[in-house]
Amino acid sequence: MNKILLSCFLLLLILTTKAQEANTTADQNPNYKASLEKYKSQQDKLMATMNTTVQNTYQAYDWYEAKQERKQQRIADRRERSLYELQNFGNYYNPFNYYYDPFAAPYRYSPYNFRYHHWRRR
Amino acid sequence: MRTILFCAIISLLLITASCNRQVTRIDPATTPDISGSWNNTDSRLTAEEMINQALTGDWLTNHTQAKGKKPVVIVGMVTNKSHEHIEAETFMNDLERSFITTSKVGLVQSGKKREELRGEKADQQTNASQSTMKKFGLENGADYILQGSINSIVDAYKKKKSVTYQVNLELTNIETNEVVWIGDKKIAKLVKN
Repeated sequence: MNKILLSCFLLLLILTTKAQEANTTADQNPNYKASLEKYKSQQDKLMATMNTTVQNTYQAYDWYEAKQERKQQRIADRRERSLYELQNFGNYYNPFNYYYDPFAAPYRYSPYNFRYHHWRRR
Repeated sequence: MRTILFCAIISLLLITASCNRQVTRIDPATTPDISGSWNNTDSRLTAEEMINQALTGDWLTNHTQAKGKKPVVIVGMVTNKSHEHIEAETFMNDLERSFITTSKVGLVQSGKKREELRGEKADQQTNASQSTMKKFGLENGADYILQGSINSIVDAYKKKKSVTYQVNLELTNIETNEVVWIGDKKIAKLVKN
């Protein structure tokens, strides 16, 4: 009885091995299944960008554009500083305020700067 | 009084006429260069060059002779590594269309469109009649994958700028990983501000 069972098991083993061999083609790496399992589990992630343009752009340095940007930044800074000073004139904690500093030159765009706003001078 | 009224009407007309936006339709094949950035003309020139190179390449005859049938291509990813936002779909679509119109290369759907197709097929399994229902597992497997990259080199000083774009497309055998064709298009521009 044992001999019959053993022979059946061996036959099944041989058939399974043959079936596996039938799935592989000539010269195919016998370890291909390891790779198949690895990539099959992450195929959705790998194919997410298929038929699309992945934007991996960089910022090119343009001398002229950089100059224009610096100029715009200067104008914006000046405007902001002026606005801040107008809103906070007389505030002791205002860093742009020279009201309490008799030795400092007054800020150019201050409305109380008589040196630049001559029409205010009496 | 009349003269004043007349002048006022004329000036009003002139002001309103000058404020109107004008739109002129132009031929897409003759898009003018305005800012010097990547535009329709660049895309068209790239498409023309790629179509010419792809359909006259040796890979096509090699495949047809070896397999006895036309190759099937799937479109993969294009990476834009330039300094500008460029959408490759504009020239890739022209290339795909040329594959179909010349009947030299077969094309299978990829990406989100393929996902939608499979979704529709799945829906048919429960909603369509048995005679019209499309089965799973009968898709055409692609022989080659088409991938690409866009690169650029910028050289600028004071008011002058030169920009060179390089577009590369590659066809790779999916089974063997062998690159069978590389399409290349270079576009150079000199921009003066």
